[in-house]
Parts: sequence; structure tokens; C-alpha cells
Amino acid sequence: MITRSRSVGDALAGFERLIAQDRVNDYASASGDHNPIHLDEAYAATTQFGTRIVHGMLSLALVTEMLAAEFPNTWHSGGKIKVRFNAPVIPGETVTAYGEITSIDETDHGRIVTCNVGCKKPDGTDAVSGRATIPLE
Amino acid sequence: MAEPLISTAVIGHEFGPYDVTIVGERATAYSAAVGGDESPDYGDTLAPIIIVAAALTELIDDLGLYSGGLQTVHAGQEVSWGRAVYIGEKVEARGKLAANSIRRGNHFATVTVSYTDGNGAEIGTSSTTIIVTGEQS
Repeated sequence: MITRSRSVGDALAGFERLIAQDRVNDYASASGDHNPIHLDEAYAATTQFGTRIVHGMLSLALVTEMLAAEFPNTWHSGGKIKVRFNAPVIPGETVTAYGEITSIDETDHGRIVTCNVGCKKPDGTDAVSGRATIPLE
Repeated sequence: MAEPLISTAVIGHEFGPYDVTIVGERATAYSAAVGGDESPDYGDTLAPIIIVAAALTELIDDLGLYSGGLQTVHAGQEVSWGRAVYIGEKVEARGKLAANSIRRGNHFATVTVSYTDGNGAEIGTSSTTIIVTGEQS
């Protein structure tokens, strides 16, 4: 098995993704969260946002997709993430998942990498931002 | 209309258990939502975040946050996961209200959740912080 060398300052392999309304609809089916603020434009127009918004957990899911791709053998077995939801994503926006390694620590449980992670809106503001820790192999 | 539970629940209030077993149809919907062919191949395992999202949907319902007039913001999320979970594998979620306060007219609630497998072993934890505005409490 080939393991990648990791260093503080390394960028994670982020990606851009268009969050169209059909993805929001799929996410509602997956999560069971059919809140009309995500699905019903007429209802959403009456809310503080004035339009439909993407489930915050879908934005977070994109961040965890990046971590799953970057750390395929350990993210689901010992990974942790803590984020804030800073701004809603609007269906039709293209967001960018990003991350950077900020520390690598030797612990009693092996090497642990800490990353700043997030998901940016098209205007560069963070929809989601926070920190993840993942065991290294 | 009865007051939503978030207005009356005290710290330590327990939620669930919820059956958050994710079957194939929901796993497929999740995959389509987050990226389809662009996503990592999880094989017959699940992204933990969909299990957390399924529990969150149940919590939001039980807290009465779908009640008319409430404006809810998902402010923060923590997830810690111990092992891969298979599609269709039995998972239960049990929540506990860890914080519930009103600051500057906004209601802040934090619910921690423990996820257990069919043997009762803990396989993950999460913590969700929700802010509710527009509530007369």
C-alpha cells in the first residue's frame, strides 16, 4: 500500500460543485428533511432568506466528501469535524470545498492530522468553516 | 397551538431512540445529492454524515422546529465517527439536550447524539447547535 507523505501547509484536494435544486431534492429524500425552506420557493420567499436555501448538512457533506477522498482509509474510522454554518448556500450556486493541513501530531493513538476546512460560496465567503482531525495510516 | 418542545425542555432531556438505519434507496439519493459520479466510491458503506442528518431530521421534528412562525438556523455541527457503517446496517441514535438558553432574544439549543450499532456499541457521536428566532419564549 502506498501512503502519501503529509506536511503542514499542504492543501487538500478541494473541488467545485454546482448545487442545483435537484441535488437539494435528492438530499431531502436521503435525509428525510423536507422542510419547505429547502424545497418550496413560495414558502421560502416568506422567510428571512427570501428564497430556498440548501440544507446546511449538504454543504457540510461536501466538506466530508473531500475528507473521504483525501483520507479514504481513516476518515470514516476515527475522523472528527467541527464546523460553523456561516451563510446559506442558494440552489444554483457553485461552491468550493477546501482544506489545509495545519498540524500533524504524534499521539498515543498514532499520528493525527488537523486541517482547517470549509466550503466557500461563489463570492468567496464561507458557507461552512471549521476544523477536522483525521488519523494517519 | 402547543408550545414547541424547545421552549420547555430542560437540559438533560432525552430524545429517541431513533432508528437511523440507512437503506439503499436513501444511500443512492445521498450519493446523487453530493456528487454522483464525482463522489468517492464508498462501496457498500455509508458516509457517516447521512446518518447524522437522518438523526437531525428526527430531532428537529421532536423539538417542534417545524412549527409555524419559527425561524431556525443550524449554527454549528460536530461529528466524530469510529468505524465504517454498511448500507442497511442497524443504527440507533439517542439524543440529549446539552444546552438550552435565550440570549439577546435568540434561543440557543445544543443536542448531543450517540449512535450505536445492532450490538449496542457506540460507533459515533455528534453535537448540533441550533438558533431559533421569532419565538415568544
